[in-house]
Amino acid sequence: MGEVILTMKGIDKSFPGVHALDHVDLEVRKGEVHALMGENGAGKSTLMKVLTGIYKKDSGTITYEGKEVEFHNTREAQDAGVVIVHQELNMLGHLTVAQNIFIGREFKKGIRIDDKKMNEEAKKLFDRMHIDIDPKETMSRLTVGKQQMCEIAKAISHKAKVIIFDEPSAALTEAEIEELFKIIRDLRDQGLGIVYISHRMDEIKVITDRVTVMRDGAYVGTLITKDSTKDDIINMMVGRVIYEDPKTQNMTPKGSPVVLKVDHLNAGKMVQDVSFELHKGEVLGFSGLMGAGRTETMRALFGADPIDSGDIYVNGKKVTIKSPEDAVKCGIGYLSEDRKRFGIVVQKTVAENTTMADLDEFCNGPFIDKKKECEVAQKFVESLATKTPGVDQLVVNLSGGNQQKVVIAKWLTRNCDILIFDEPTRGIDVGAKNEIYKLMNQLAAEGKAIIMVSSEMTEILRMSDRIVVMCEGKKTGELDISEATQENIMNMATREIN
Amino acid sequence: MNQNKASKQKMGGRKVESIKQIPLVKKVGFNRIVLCIVLLLMYALFCILTGGAFLGTRRILSALNYAYFLGFLSLAVTFVIATGGIDFSIGPVMFCCALMAGFSFTVNGIPMPAALIISLVVGIAFGIFNGYLVAYWNVPSFITSIASMNIAKGLASVFTKTQSVSWPQTGADGGWFRNIVTMGGIPMGLIILLVAAVICAVILNKTKMGRYILSLGSNKEAVRLSGVNVKKWEMSAYILCGLLVGIAAIFYVAAYTTVQPGYGDQYNNEAIAGCVMGGTSMAGGLASISGTIIGVFIISLLQEGIMALGLDKNLQLIITGIIVIVAVFADVVARRRKN
Amino acid sequence: MANKSVSNTAGTNRSFIDRMGGQKFIVLILVIVMFIFFCAMSPGFRKYTTVVSILDYSYYIALMAIGVTFPLLTAGVDLSIGTGLICYSLIGGYLIVHQGWPVGAGMLVTVLMGVIFGVINGCLVALMDLPAFLATLCTCMITRGFGAFIVGGYGIPWPTATAPGGWFRSIFKIQVGGQNIPIGFLWIILLVIVMSFVLNHTKMGRYTRAIGSNKEATRLSGVNVKFYHIMAYVICGLFAGLAAIAYSAIFATVQPGSGAGFELDAIGGAIVGGVSMSGAVGSITGTLIGVFVICLLKTGLPFIGLTANWQQIITGFVLIAAVLFDILKRKKEEGR
Repeated sequence: MGEVILTMKGIDKSFPGVHALDHVDLEVRKGEVHALMGENGAGKSTLMKVLTGIYKKDSGTITYEGKEVEFHNTREAQDAGVVIVHQELNMLGHLTVAQNIFIGREFKKGIRIDDKKMNEEAKKLFDRMHIDIDPKETMSRLTVGKQQMCEIAKAISHKAKVIIFDEPSAALTEAEIEELFKIIRDLRDQGLGIVYISHRMDEIKVITDRVTVMRDGAYVGTLITKDSTKDDIINMMVGRVIYEDPKTQNMTPKGSPVVLKVDHLNAGKMVQDVSFELHKGEVLGFSGLMGAGRTETMRALFGADPIDSGDIYVNGKKVTIKSPEDAVKCGIGYLSEDRKRFGIVVQKTVAENTTMADLDEFCNGPFIDKKKECEVAQKFVESLATKTPGVDQLVVNLSGGNQQKVVIAKWLTRNCDILIFDEPTRGIDVGAKNEIYKLMNQLAAEGKAIIMVSSEMTEILRMSDRIVVMCEGKKTGELDISEATQENIMNMATREIN
Repeated sequence: MNQNKASKQKMGGRKVESIKQIPLVKKVGFNRIVLCIVLLLMYALFCILTGGAFLGTRRILSALNYAYFLGFLSLAVTFVIATGGIDFSIGPVMFCCALMAGFSFTVNGIPMPAALIISLVVGIAFGIFNGYLVAYWNVPSFITSIASMNIAKGLASVFTKTQSVSWPQTGADGGWFRNIVTMGGIPMGLIILLVAAVICAVILNKTKMGRYILSLGSNKEAVRLSGVNVKKWEMSAYILCGLLVGIAAIFYVAAYTTVQPGYGDQYNNEAIAGCVMGGTSMAGGLASISGTIIGVFIISLLQEGIMALGLDKNLQLIITGIIVIVAVFADVVARRRKN
Repeated sequence: MANKSVSNTAGTNRSFIDRMGGQKFIVLILVIVMFIFFCAMSPGFRKYTTVVSILDYSYYIALMAIGVTFPLLTAGVDLSIGTGLICYSLIGGYLIVHQGWPVGAGMLVTVLMGVIFGVINGCLVALMDLPAFLATLCTCMITRGFGAFIVGGYGIPWPTATAPGGWFRSIFKIQVGGQNIPIGFLWIILLVIVMSFVLNHTKMGRYTRAIGSNKEATRLSGVNVKFYHIMAYVICGLFAGLAAIAYSAIFATVQPGSGAGFELDAIGGAIVGGVSMSGAVGSITGTLIGVFVICLLKTGLPFIGLTANWQQIITGFVLIAAVLFDILKRKKEEGR
């Protein structure tokens, strides 16, 4: 480990209603791989966005190569040598590898772009990284892993001194991760400072030198990796030993019937041979890391994406679900993680959204009975305590939590017995979160069967009666709440038990 | 902590209310009030410029003749634009309807009611064709419509062997159909157009079909995930569009008698102009029938005014082109500000 | 991540057709088959004059198609090229015929008008964020009105080949011993080579494709996206101007109010030749080959007893078929 190249001190950042970063510190040395860890929403990505100039910090200092700096956009950061390799790749699929690496700063010979030189330079970069990629290959033809290598090559070509990897392994195979680690070690040995953001505990142990842990937007501490155990790190990440009312036992009434059975479901790469059962009155938690295939499973089950194979039984009867229309007819309702895109029609009113899934019930012939519609919407506004000036309010003007309640009302209007909540509290503030939790418990008590997909460990432990854990498109475990702990869930989610 | 939360919610509540007021004034009233004022000012301007020649009922009736068929075209395309699509085959399809129906009447000698039905059927057929390709095959709507525009022109030419068709005059055999424009001095056309507009407004705002059309124009995926058969409803908008185009064809020939194959595309832009001026958003999900009707009156008055002033009728093309650009740009800016 | 599923079909195992240039190759075979078909069906088609007439038609369509390939590659479109062509030709011809301008100056104005409307289209789309099809539909109507307005509604006959100033017609066709030699084809080939170079080996072309592939990523790479986006429409306008010259040189009179539908021939040609409606995919040579499908239809169908009107209908269906093919191809590439 060399001298300090980058110091972030007392970084503070607030968004309306959220204190995203609370005086966070980070120090990166030359020639080290520094892990940045924390649960989803702990503020890791926000911190890196502050560093690379995407967000403006409220207070605190950033010292880079001995000078205090403030980058105003990613390009300034790049030019100074601070480069981020995103989880979502920013690539031009139709261009070649070399063209992607040098986009915006092509080599030229007169007016002609010197593709030959670009290919050679790209080749040199890959040689330096000891990987074999043809610079002339079209980007979209490469595997995701190779595409990531190209992003790294692009970062290196910027003469980077600090490279930030934002969950680089999320979409990679074992072999590709091996290759990635080799490159990261090479870069480290060449004296670069590496920031490595990841969830995967085993990776952290393998690749990093030091670990900085964040929790709820605050700095928790920094450890030397080889001197600390995995439990130390997990304890720091989770922090609180006591959750807000964690469930200690399965609350499902004994012998309650199976309402949904999914048998060997396959759909694309992200859903491989998934089977599970859901009981009446149960909250079944789906845990796993990002990209584990939980949302994909739910979308396939709901008919939003095509199914390759597998059977679905509702109330013991085998059903064919080819479209959301079929699923809704079977009494399944889906509350998407991305409400604005998939959940609500923002330009329509609360009442119109409430009846969206069950409009036939509100029609006399072709005409909509607006009075009835408003009455029912009003009823749900009251019973769910939705905060809105009225049912004729456009949904776009409601807060996240209240939008979520409108989506819940939509499915309750349809009288769906199976509700799939995909990240039900994403983007919802703390107070509203509790209300949503209460509502879900109440629904389960009324006999609805609930599937809850969540990336928040506390949420899973607080809400679920049973927990299914997924990793890389496969189900890796199933636990009753009485035997579930953060640690064994995390283990299953990182595939240590298989 | 608790207090803090409560105050935050209060703040949220106030914010909600203040936002609520703006779109209500802007979307419901403001736009249309301005359009009405523009309409009146234009009329006054033309009266002054023509030295009073514009004052009589003759000019107004002539402008109305133009407004009838254009009104139906504009209503037609309003439904398609509400789904977030576009149709610029409407003008040529209208001519195709008029030509095929008229040719069947004058040359093949079928009775007038059958000819009128043919016009509607041809319109609906094109609606089904466009709608099927857009809704079920995801072909971009502007591609489908430039293709069907040419198909309509070609089909009409082939059918009539490139001859123009003249529909029967009042008093002639089958000429009774002209009563839909004026019957005994009463402007029937205006009544029918307004009734049709009311029906369209009811369909758009009070029925399941209208609800789904507007919703899927706003967020198709969310509607699909609510378990709605979006393909069916998207296609229905195009079919309704086709039907209205078929009606527009009848009003066109009732006012102008003769149709020539190979034309009709100049009316696309005028119909779209009436629609977007009236506050229908090109992004879909937002449509106003009353706005469309006022927009159509403005375009019709403009056309009549240009004629009355003895200006080149090509100015009409240029002006409507600019109107559409300005109206759509205003829509783009409004949406950008909202985000 | 749409690209995930493509990944396994990496480089080595591409099909024979792919290696030969993909759709381009299929369409080239289609052109040959069509030619043979028409030759077999009609003795009238098997004549030198027919070949000349196919080429005559091909010039202005090919020029428009080369131009419109650029907006298409940015995932946009330009619908104003057809009526624009007539408008520019009318204005240039008006200056020559009615104002006594030298032919060279008139031609320059014609091309310049194309460039001006290209700039207008580019600004509407790139700066004002209007949907391309709508903005260019408006300029389509505006150019149509504008051209007719300038000339007062009368057709403009550009000077005939033998009249003074008629030299410009020999750019595309010269007479040697009573035979027409279609040398315009050489110009087309030359322009195809130049524009292929621009598309594949200059920043202009590279960024045009990049904008069509992922506009936001291109912007984040520090490219002046707005400028290059506008330039795609300027190139399109420039070529519409050149097409106007070709049209004036081939046909005796230019009629105001015509030109609607020309854009369909050009866009149809480009898409048949493998340009994707969703941007970034396509080539100039492909476009040229696609144009010949359209031109063969235009000239060939009358020989087998179908009028020009049928050609209009068939072109409409060909366009839809080509777009459907493109959609299905993309669906397959995305895996599901």
